[in-house]
Amino acid sequence: MDNLLQGAAHGLMAVIKPIADDEWILGHRGSEWLALAPDLEGDMALSSISQDNLGHAQFYYELLHSLGLPSADEQVYLRTAAEWTNAHLLEVPNHDWAGTIALRYLYQVFDDIRHQGLLASPYQPLTDGVRKIRREAQYHLQHFQTGFEMLAIGTDESRQRLIEGVNQVWEMLGDLFSWGPAEAFLPDLGLQGVSEKVVKTAWMDRIEAQFRHLGLPEPAAIPQPALNGRLGQHSEALADLLDEMTEVRRIGLSAPW
Amino acid sequence: MEDTGRMAAFMARIESGEKIEATDWMPEEYRNLLIKQIHMHGISEIMGAYPEKEWVPKAPTIRRKLALNAKVQDEIGHGQMLLRLAEDLSRPYGRGREELMDDVLDGRIKFHNVFHMEAPTWADAGVIGFLVDGGAIITQAMLLDSSYAPYARMLKRIVAEESFHMQHGEAVVLALAEGNQAQREMLQGAINRWWAPMMFFFGPTQMGKSAEAMMGYRIRTKTNEELRQKFINRYVPRIRALGMTIPDAELRLDPATQEWHYSQPDWELYNAMVRNNTGPRSQARLALRRQAHVDQRWVREAMNAAAQRIANQGSERQSAM
Amino acid sequence: MHESQTAEFPVFEVFVQKESLGFHINVGSLRAASPELALQLAREIFFRRETAYNVWVVPQDCIFSSPHDEAHLPVEGMDKRYRLPGGYDNATHWKRFKAKAMTIEEVAKDIRS
Ligand SMILES: [Fe+2]
Ligand SMILES: [Fe+2]
Repeated sequence: MDNLLQGAAHGLMAVIKPIADDEWILGHRGSEWLALAPDLEGDMALSSISQDNLGHAQFYYELLHSLGLPSADEQVYLRTAAEWTNAHLLEVPNHDWAGTIALRYLYQVFDDIRHQGLLASPYQPLTDGVRKIRREAQYHLQHFQTGFEMLAIGTDESRQRLIEGVNQVWEMLGDLFSWGPAEAFLPDLGLQGVSEKVVKTAWMDRIEAQFRHLGLPEPAAIPQPALNGRLGQHSEALADLLDEMTEVRRIGLSAPW
Repeated sequence: MEDTGRMAAFMARIESGEKIEATDWMPEEYRNLLIKQIHMHGISEIMGAYPEKEWVPKAPTIRRKLALNAKVQDEIGHGQMLLRLAEDLSRPYGRGREELMDDVLDGRIKFHNVFHMEAPTWADAGVIGFLVDGGAIITQAMLLDSSYAPYARMLKRIVAEESFHMQHGEAVVLALAEGNQAQREMLQGAINRWWAPMMFFFGPTQMGKSAEAMMGYRIRTKTNEELRQKFINRYVPRIRALGMTIPDAELRLDPATQEWHYSQPDWELYNAMVRNNTGPRSQARLALRRQAHVDQRWVREAMNAAAQRIANQGSERQSAM
Repeated sequence: MHESQTAEFPVFEVFVQKESLGFHINVGSLRAASPELALQLAREIFFRRETAYNVWVVPQDCIFSSPHDEAHLPVEGMDKRYRLPGGYDNATHWKRFKAKAMTIEEVAKDIRS
């Protein structure tokens, strides 16, 4: 933090927080698939990815801690729903397998573009971490892309379910690209590459090409968010998730666990 | 005639400590005992994922959430490795993964009593790692010497992973023991729940016919009672060291024989639970397995259809060249 | 290309298992007209100076190999000590309760003795 101006630290925190929260909620929901995937081998793959997501979140929370926030564990376990800045679509309960594959594929493409943009940051602790995280995230993208493509060309049922999954995710896409108040800090942080407009355009290009390739219905425009998670607006689902997640921890907030 | 000769040669190999491979000739009885043992072992690993899985969303720290997720993943992985072995052995009977998994849902294969039980608190998640994995490690260490080489080989991998389960389980239990009053009470409650099921876990002192036959073929090498004594001997002092008590007034070490005397678990109750899936959580966990395996058959069908389509495209492309 | 001439023998990758509880590892490849011959020839080509417990020969075109990129290979990403036995320090805690930490090696040794 020594070579960081106070203002820059403030902006960095606003940028890192939603990324951390996205990864954590994703890892939490992904873990709910444990022992429930359609096959044992795929179960193990998704579990590793969930662990990776939780690990990425942990890295960002520790970075935030170094910038002045409470410890990583406190950030996870002691915040109210309104203090979380994950995208709304990540907090909704898991639907079916096709829904999860659709969500994860669409997210991983977004995450990939976000990572590329983050690498332009002059703040080395961030770029060092992102570089490591990308090693894992590229596999996540590959894995969900393969799953997405195979469900798309598999059977009529799988294709239908995948399209339904995409439609459900699509309705909630609005806030995924949003930065809320952090957008204003991006130019000064050298992070124009992750601005809402840049990421949305790059993402749409890739998704449209993929949908065309697979003969899927042409995607609609990205809707305006009904709830903007980046502003702390969330559905009841997040409150329920946090309630369950902190159930044990609340027995002894400062006890050893 | 020839069969008697082959049988004698087979037994001679086993008695000299040689290992049997999947492709070797083996008596029907040996194959069937292996299938029975490895199938049940594999399915138990998979059903064993559920009690701890329930606690992943509630794990109280980042570290515990990561570790418990990894541990449940390993258990699914053990199920995967073991079912692969059972599948290879079942090939002559035309049965594969789909059928072996269906078997537990249709009541044709049973799983360990401990995985029929409730895990109502976080301490149960810890005590499962501590005592159930502790017991499983003792059984599995014995199986490292199994006469069936593919089983012994996989057990090497499994036992290596269990080493992490043991450390994780102990870490959770130690933290609770070092914690506040509520945490220590929670730990004692979990120990009270798991002790008797663990006594049953190793099976009756008077072993059944197939367990005896497995000893003869050296598929396993120790008796139920030997394993149970090893378990008691290791875990009683550890539980007591934590300031916890063991819910068995009869428990004592006979100074003359160095054998532990313990109360008999309710054999009838647990036997019926395993046989009829009537434990407190049997049906709920079977429902989860059904959700994964049966309700999502469409995913496996779709993946196969997609793979077929990709392969066909590949060969079309080749013939066009 | 060689269609009019004598066809080349197919390539087999050779895997050896050194002992009954070991795993097969790849040691190289050879050309042979059939799998049976490949097994016989592997013996001369790779094991003139050593013994083996078992040998596999696998037609090379049956092998689907990963590209050398991060999306396909296990990489060192973030800290994964939570899933290693060495990531735990239970000994200090057991000491507080006047008990000793236990290792799986010691349990296995005890059971197998
Ligand atoms: Fe296991
Ligand atoms: Fe285990």
